[in-house]
Amino acid sequence: MEVRMGFVIITSRCIDCDACMVACRAENEVPLGNTRNWVKDSGVKGQFPEVKQMFEPGNCMHCDNPPCVRVCPTGASQKRSDGIVIVDHEKCIGCKYCLTACPYEARFINAETGKADKCTLCLHRLQQGLKPACVQTCLGKARQAGNLNDPESVVAKLLATYPSRQLLTELGTGPNIYYIDVAVPEIPEGK
Amino acid sequence: MSKVYTWDQLFNRRSFIKGSIATLAMGVAAGKGGLTNPASGLAVTQQEQSNVTYIPTICEQCVWRCGVIARVENGVIKKLEGNPVHPNNFGKLCPRGNAGIETVYSPDRIQFPMIRAGARGSGLWREASWDEALSYTADQMKQIKEKYGAKAMIFNSTDNLSQPFFEVLLKAYGTPNYGTQRSLCFNATTTGFLYTFGVPQPGTDYSNCKYMIFTGRNLAEGISNNETQEMIELIARGAKVVVLDPRFSKTAAKAEWLPIRPGTDSAFFLAMIHVIIKEKSYNEAFILKYTQGFEALTQEVEKYTPEWAEKQCEIPAATIERIAREFAGAAPQAIAHPNWRSSNFINSFQTERSIAVLNALVGNWAQPGGLIPDQEINTVKLGELGHPQFPTAQGMRLDGVPWQYPMVPMAYGVIQTMRDNILAGKPYEAKGWLISRQNPVLSIPERQKTINALMKLDFVAVVDIQANDTAYYADVILPESSYLERYDGLVPIGNKIFLRQPVIDTLYDTKSSLMIYKELADHLGLGDFLPYKDETDLLQKQLRPFPISLEELKEKGYYEVQNFRKDHSKDFNFQTTSGKIEISSSIMEQMGKKAVPNWVDPPRPDEDHYYLLTGKTAQHSQMFTQNNSWLLELFPENKLWLHTSVAAKLGVNEDEEVIVESEVGKVRIKAHVTEGIRSDCVFMVSGFGHVSKGLRKAYGLGASDSALHKSLADPISGGSALSETFVTVIKA
Amino acid sequence: MKTEIPWGLMIVIYLFTAGLSAGSMMTSNLALLKDREKYGRIIRWGAYVTPFPISFGTGMLLLDLGSPFNFYRLFLTLQVRSAMSYGSWAILLFAALSFVNLYLWLPDRYRPIKWPAEIEKWQRILAQLMPILSLIVASYTGFLLAEAMRPLWDTLLLPILFLVSALSTGVAAVILTATLSHKNRIQHHELHVLTLVDMILILVELALFLGIILTLFAASESQKLAISSLLFGSYAWMFWLMIVVCGLLLPLGLELLELKGRIQLRWALPTTLGSSLLVLLGGFFVRYVITYAGQLSRWIN
Repeated sequence: MEVRMGFVIITSRCIDCDACMVACRAENEVPLGNTRNWVKDSGVKGQFPEVKQMFEPGNCMHCDNPPCVRVCPTGASQKRSDGIVIVDHEKCIGCKYCLTACPYEARFINAETGKADKCTLCLHRLQQGLKPACVQTCLGKARQAGNLNDPESVVAKLLATYPSRQLLTELGTGPNIYYIDVAVPEIPEGK
Repeated sequence: MSKVYTWDQLFNRRSFIKGSIATLAMGVAAGKGGLTNPASGLAVTQQEQSNVTYIPTICEQCVWRCGVIARVENGVIKKLEGNPVHPNNFGKLCPRGNAGIETVYSPDRIQFPMIRAGARGSGLWREASWDEALSYTADQMKQIKEKYGAKAMIFNSTDNLSQPFFEVLLKAYGTPNYGTQRSLCFNATTTGFLYTFGVPQPGTDYSNCKYMIFTGRNLAEGISNNETQEMIELIARGAKVVVLDPRFSKTAAKAEWLPIRPGTDSAFFLAMIHVIIKEKSYNEAFILKYTQGFEALTQEVEKYTPEWAEKQCEIPAATIERIAREFAGAAPQAIAHPNWRSSNFINSFQTERSIAVLNALVGNWAQPGGLIPDQEINTVKLGELGHPQFPTAQGMRLDGVPWQYPMVPMAYGVIQTMRDNILAGKPYEAKGWLISRQNPVLSIPERQKTINALMKLDFVAVVDIQANDTAYYADVILPESSYLERYDGLVPIGNKIFLRQPVIDTLYDTKSSLMIYKELADHLGLGDFLPYKDETDLLQKQLRPFPISLEELKEKGYYEVQNFRKDHSKDFNFQTTSGKIEISSSIMEQMGKKAVPNWVDPPRPDEDHYYLLTGKTAQHSQMFTQNNSWLLELFPENKLWLHTSVAAKLGVNEDEEVIVESEVGKVRIKAHVTEGIRSDCVFMVSGFGHVSKGLRKAYGLGASDSALHKSLADPISGGSALSETFVTVIKA
Repeated sequence: MKTEIPWGLMIVIYLFTAGLSAGSMMTSNLALLKDREKYGRIIRWGAYVTPFPISFGTGMLLLDLGSPFNFYRLFLTLQVRSAMSYGSWAILLFAALSFVNLYLWLPDRYRPIKWPAEIEKWQRILAQLMPILSLIVASYTGFLLAEAMRPLWDTLLLPILFLVSALSTGVAAVILTATLSHKNRIQHHELHVLTLVDMILILVELALFLGIILTLFAASESQKLAISSLLFGSYAWMFWLMIVVCGLLLPLGLELLELKGRIQLRWALPTTLGSSLLVLLGGFFVRYVITYAGQLSRWIN
């Protein structure tokens, strides 16, 4: 079966410490003022003392049907055969069309390169057999990444065991971040 | 005569150097551009590998000491990652740890020794050589000693790896005056547990625990890396976690939140004890065998019914009863956590005592899922350096221990009283202050008083890597190398020994604190007390008992002692007066005080006044990281949390400015309107509101709680009662 | 996290000028096809106006690029699914041909070489070809946004609105320049036709706005939110005042008065100039408001 790289993010394990954001900044030399990933804070919901708060980490969803790739006028935005959506700097002209077209707002223009910039799933780390920087540093093991199509992967095992949701599926983007909100007592062993 | 510089001039010189580092960094980065190109593939990666080294060391973005592996490319630190073998962080780094690179490469680092060239606090400085700066410091210290005695010189430092060597220096100098952060932090916890179990900070076995009660302990925002991870796993496992906190913290967001009235936690715990005793759900065998004072406790808590407690702490009686039953039911795999910064109220000692006693009643001591006895005994002992006999410190301590605070252990001290006595000149005049890696201006309540105390002294010297608010008022700044550029003393944890080592050469004319202390000692004629030539000499001496060379240790970053056996034989040898767990404290009895935990009514704010609560955020460490631009990006300033109803009453919207005023000070700060706080409280994260213009990014951002806090001390533990400051809030 | 809008004023100018040029080209072409003699001033001024706004706008687009020196990459490929890709090709072709068209309509003394020989034939060929290209360019600016699928933009009425607005601004630009001209001043019958056309376009525009509002209100929550914040949010004053009142209703009223001959002679010229300027202003704000508000609109879960 073909490779389909993506994330499983367990919101119940996220404490909104933002270590993933700093790790990504360091790893990918993301200039200040922009970020490739984020943790969304629902804010305190409800009325005192019956309140709730949820934290939802995110980044590029590496969609099955990525709007950024569709709108790119030069073919710089591409979906690789392993599912990772990348930007070819050689071809990118910095027109920002992909920025407006991404419903997840996962892209920005890197002020230093003048190119569209986004999560690469730490492709260069994957090539060295390492986990993406955000996954590596996550204190709560809330962030997991891998081949969603490989039943032996951590992500596939998690999805097989727990209910999950994706964001804005109605837009037909086919996002490859799956969110698990329920408690996950143990992260399964896997690839 | 060398040139006089203002901060701006100093930093402009620095930007030039920073620029050249950035250029170098970009040169390295250039090779990486192709990585997002699908065609480039592995070739680039491998080529890049050739100049890459991975160096294990120890983090210092807070005091937790996590294991780090630094990735260094062509002499530039590119990435910090957790060391998987390190028990303090299991391979993970928090946001602050990840942002350590920015601490090292900050344009606001102090580059060379500096001597004040204008009035104190004027921000005028001149560059000095190390020899000049050290001679100047030593001369001043010698003069003070000759004229006024060693006691006129105060030494301050905070928790860090070179602290033991600083303590040697101060003992060699002969002063009784040592200031640490402890009374601003955990004095209530440590004294409460010390006088109950004979252990100041027992551990907590998260992995087997089923029920945890945190009293303000906020591990999601006050990250203690491995403990935070253990808490997340505990919650994920489905264990019950209860959080007592007037504010809805991010820890509370993961647990059952009980928005307790500030200062009344002991009412909650005394009522739990009442229920447990009434329902006989305590561990009778354990109490008989290991404790004393149960009868007196039974009598005392008779009156502390859940209904009574509800009136005090505003948690429903039924909830207290339910939690008491759940807790006792889960015991011994249940813990009322000893907590950490518990310096909140005059009665915090009683709160910690009731927590300690609650744990004792259910017999979780040394049980799986319960409290873990003294861990010191099960830690490897390093090679000793040896030193001459210390001179006897002459004179009373300025911090009032023990003459004002008979029960505060000498090692903890009461720093806020020390500051007050500098100002009062009692019992004698202090003359000099040597402060290493500490920032009293922002940490001690009543900032203005601390600044006044600094202004009053004849001599102030500061050791730090950046111009913190105290350094701003110093006469001399001895610049320390950052933690990624220097060695420190070895860190034994359990059966392992960890090393902090430089991962790059020092960027500037800075030294490790080990060498600053050593060379200062030499200049003072006290060199024999720190008997090492340089850092590696010291480390080799500490390593002497073990069959490993420093070179090997540097390679691996740690050494695991073989056949190290954990000693549990002394788990039940309680180091208390009675040798038992003291439900009824012998020392309290000796002091003529009520010996069992009891209720001390805390003050309440008047109408239109609010409790001022302070706490942490996960993105900053105390007052140290606000100038770190990577962290500032995540958390740019502190705001005043106001309950929605309070904000409506004041006519304040989110992000509008308010003026907060206490008896001692007034600040202006933006409002954060939320349902996640009691309507009688306001909250702000501490560590902002820097006054040093040497912290160019952090200067003036947010507000400092130290400008508002009153100086109050618990007479028993010496803990600063930080939440007994009541404030008014008006729209700015 | 900061919320930054990727596309700012320069893109708004690009969208506006491209539409304007397409509209004026179309006006010129259709006038020629209708009656070469009768509408001579319209044809000529349309040809003169067309090349410049779009060239200026394209310059703005280049300045807005993160990597402007890489712009040639646009023309090394045709990405059929990308509106910007085919749009860029269309604009390139359009701009080039609009200069050719301009050349063909220059007075003889400005054409040193007498080439091509059969100039009228070529003028006619271009007039037959350019409307198709104009149509593509004008609607492309709308498709560009619609294809990005932001809640406010995600309706096919948007390209139609942009097309109609483009024609309207094109007509207004021709009226404006031809009215101001001394030598080739517009004649009454010409002005009458253009004013009538513009009125119709404005009415269609109003209908399209209504259509967009109703469509989005009937669509998803996100789109409902997007259109309500356009109508009542931070861009509401611009929408109502600059677009609806100044850009549509006011010129509509003025043009109606003109057609009915209710304007005193001494006010005739200011009224004509005023209404066409208002149409241009309105057309600019149509792009401005929709571009900005559209980027603020977000899909919500």
